[in-house]
Amino acid sequence: MPRGPDRVELLQGTLDLIVLRALATMGPQHAYGLAARLEQTGDHRLTLNQGTLYPALVRLEQKGWIRGTWRTTEHNREAKYYTITKPGLRALEKQTERWRRLVGLLDRLLLDGS
Amino acid sequence: MDPDMWRVRRFLHRLRAFLRPGASERELARELTAQLGLLEDEYRRRGLRPDEARLAARRSLGGVDQLKELHRDARSIPWLEDARRDVPHAFRSLGRNPGFAFAAVATLAIGIGANTTMFSVVNSVLLKPLSYARDSDRLVRLMMDMPAEDSPTRAPLRTAVGLSAGEIAELQRRTRALSHVGTVGPVLMGLGGHEEAARLQGARVSASVFPMLGARPLLGRVFDSADERTGGGHVVLLSHSAWQRLFAGDHAVVGRTIRLESVLGPRRQSHYTVVGVMPGEFRFPTGTTQFWLPFQPAGTGPVIRGPMLGRLADGVSIEAAAAEVAPAVRQLRGHPARIRYELVREQAELVAPVRPALLVLWAAVGVVLLIACVNVANLLLARSAARQREFAIRAALGAGRMRLIRQALAESLVLALLGGTAGVLLAVAGVRLLRTLATTLERMDLGSAVSFPRLYDLGLDGVALVFTLGVSVAAGVMFGLAPAFGRPAGGASASLRASRLGTGRLLVIAEVAMATVLLVVGTLLVRSFVKLSGVGLGYDPQQVLTFQVAVPVERYPDERLKAFAEAVVAGLRAVPGVQAAAYANQLPMVVLKDTFRVGRMPDSRAAANPGGADARFVSRDYFRAMGIRVRAGRGFDEAGEPRDARALLINQALARREFGRESPLGATVFVGRDPHPWRVIGVVDDVRQFGFDREPEPQFFAELRRWAPEAGPLFPLGAYYAVRTTSDPWGVVPHIRQVVRGLDDRAALFNVAPMQQLVSTTLSRPRMYAVLAGVFAGVAVLLAAIGLYGVIAYTVARRTREIGIRMALGAHGTQVMRAILGRSLATSLVGLVLGLAGAAAGARVLESMLFGLRPLDPATYVGVSLAFAAVATVASYLPARRVMKVDPVAVLRCE
Repeated sequence: MPRGPDRVELLQGTLDLIVLRALATMGPQHAYGLAARLEQTGDHRLTLNQGTLYPALVRLEQKGWIRGTWRTTEHNREAKYYTITKPGLRALEKQTERWRRLVGLLDRLLLDGS
Repeated sequence: MDPDMWRVRRFLHRLRAFLRPGASERELARELTAQLGLLEDEYRRRGLRPDEARLAARRSLGGVDQLKELHRDARSIPWLEDARRDVPHAFRSLGRNPGFAFAAVATLAIGIGANTTMFSVVNSVLLKPLSYARDSDRLVRLMMDMPAEDSPTRAPLRTAVGLSAGEIAELQRRTRALSHVGTVGPVLMGLGGHEEAARLQGARVSASVFPMLGARPLLGRVFDSADERTGGGHVVLLSHSAWQRLFAGDHAVVGRTIRLESVLGPRRQSHYTVVGVMPGEFRFPTGTTQFWLPFQPAGTGPVIRGPMLGRLADGVSIEAAAAEVAPAVRQLRGHPARIRYELVREQAELVAPVRPALLVLWAAVGVVLLIACVNVANLLLARSAARQREFAIRAALGAGRMRLIRQALAESLVLALLGGTAGVLLAVAGVRLLRTLATTLERMDLGSAVSFPRLYDLGLDGVALVFTLGVSVAAGVMFGLAPAFGRPAGGASASLRASRLGTGRLLVIAEVAMATVLLVVGTLLVRSFVKLSGVGLGYDPQQVLTFQVAVPVERYPDERLKAFAEAVVAGLRAVPGVQAAAYANQLPMVVLKDTFRVGRMPDSRAAANPGGADARFVSRDYFRAMGIRVRAGRGFDEAGEPRDARALLINQALARREFGRESPLGATVFVGRDPHPWRVIGVVDDVRQFGFDREPEPQFFAELRRWAPEAGPLFPLGAYYAVRTTSDPWGVVPHIRQVVRGLDDRAALFNVAPMQQLVSTTLSRPRMYAVLAGVFAGVAVLLAAIGLYGVIAYTVARRTREIGIRMALGAHGTQVMRAILGRSLATSLVGLVLGLAGAAAGARVLESMLFGLRPLDPATYVGVSLAFAAVATVASYLPARRVMKVDPVAVLRCE
């Protein structure tokens, strides 16, 4: 795993958004698969240990935005696969919109002066 | 969908996870296993050996326990999860120290049990709406305050304003502020036509009373205005219990008739048609009302008046209603302006006689609970010192200060809830005891001042249990936090010790002060009761049986009643075990009052001196039977010689008033409007006729057999019989029944009670107050003594080393002990002084509950101080004595 200045700490609240987004584009995933994909997509610059991912999944499931079902993997292991739900899709849309606005605002505030 | 729906959903999930911890733990374990499996597969794919792969998987997953913890936090509700662990921990920790746990729980159980008991009483009697009326806080009653000059008793009098049926109708027409106006009055009737004669207590009510109270009949109908018009009269509503007893609950009762005989005033018997049956909870105006009659159908006999009741119209305040009703009533009744009217809430008026006492007693148990809490807080303080190591270890392991406080709170809450549970059990017994103490003979002839209002509503209910839970939690937090804050965050042990001792001493001062207040209150009430019950009654109630006889009215017109009573008494004399037997038109404690003018001059219409005296019409043996001493002269002649044809006995109060120092014997007096003189043949002791707390009034006794009444019936309440027995008065009852039955096969005994019971029943309220206040004071003092003991014992235990060193340096054991004792007594003294000052400041509220004592009675305060000083000395000496056993050598060896 890469160390050093390249690593990005996730901002509070963005993990939920990333998980929802990943599930929306990649389809059902188990927790390990999800972590691996996210690290890959993030070019290994994303710190994402199981310790943070798990509570996020529990939280999202409790909110009813994702649903977990037990299935068997291709290697005949059992694993819990998470799927995004309709309220989850709606929430993703809303949260993404909010995030865009926030980023736009931050961009202006941080970059205008330079 | 509601955008915030997910919050609700999340909370429900968490709650479920909390409630079913097993399921979510299993799910977690399953997920972690799956996770490990997947990782293991991954590492194998990368070419590791199976065992290496498993290790690598574990490593990369990180600390499993930490993960689980994070997971739990996300899944459930963290502080509840903590509580789940804290509570069993608390139980284990209490279980390790059963002596402490028992002491704390028992102390709390007493405090909480007493509170639940008193709250149940306050709630059922003062707070709960009346059970027989809808919206009972809208019911009002009109009271008036009469100055002495208008009052029949020549003393300022507060009483209900009475209105007749006609006045009620007129008032209803004139007022808009009251949606209903009505009246109610008691009535006593004989039941005719049944196997045995009997007396029933009932009420006359105006028809408007039923819609006013929102009362519906169980069967049939209630009264309507037609029942109040001339000729509408003879209808009756039965209570549930009368229906069960007289008609065995027959549903076809409506339309049947019963024969009722009026026994107050002229005796008449009439048939009454049953128009309905009221449900069991309709206890109006009292719990013993067995039937209802229309108040007074128009044009039937002299006008009778009953207290005015009303319901405030919607949206009308009681002040606005008073402003409208008072002038209207004044006009109707023609009262002068100096008689003041006041509209009061019915419920408040009903419970007014017991309200101050109940509030005082409630406050007293509140103080008992505070003392109990202080004691437990003290115990916890002592214990927390012993558990210093445990807390230090837990703090070292990373438990935060809040976490430790939460842990301590969990322990105290567990204690409090255990105490509360035991307290509820105590309260069940307490409520039962209270009911016994408050229960009186339910007799109309003893007046309403005797019985405890709303006793039938008294009980432990859901509200009381919620109250108990609240009190327990509050108590738990209170005594749980005291040690938590008394304990500094860490730091020097010196400051630790100083602070803890300081807290302990403060607690003891508070405890002693509160217990002193209660001891003063308890002593005042108990002494007052002792004084009251020690009052010379003027007669001897021991071994006297009293009873009345109901006879069918059709067989006994007035002129035969005297003969019947004479025959009964003659029969009773022959009964073995009977020393004397007599009859009278009333007995001591019976509220009937017959006042006649008595003077040495014929009725001179001398308005200046009203000269009234209470009249007692008795049979010859009355003085012997009741144990009233004839001070001078003699009683009525046995044989009833003609020389006694116009003889009277007077009491000392009347003798003093009319004759001063002269001897009244042989003198003549005039009674009422009778132009012929009566001769005084004897003077008897003053009798407390109307209760313990009423000074004896001037009284005269005439032989009933020879009395030609000016007007009115001979026995307004029926004849009362009194029998003096040689042993247990109840023992002669079967013989008496035989005698009475031998005279008339339908005669029946009623109101059978030893005279002692009549006396005792009139004392029931002061007795109840004295018992409760006494018990509360005793408990408070005991708890305070235990608290004092505990603190001293703790001090001695903590300072063993210091004491040992001092003694090694030459201090004497007794010196050290004296120092400790002195300090403890000084602490108690501070508490005692504060308590005495508090009691003196607050004792005024007791004024109305005391008899023959002032709230600042010096003897009480001195006695309480001495008693408390003695208790404090003993409670301090016992633990301080242990100082003498400290062995300096052993202590130094430990160093």
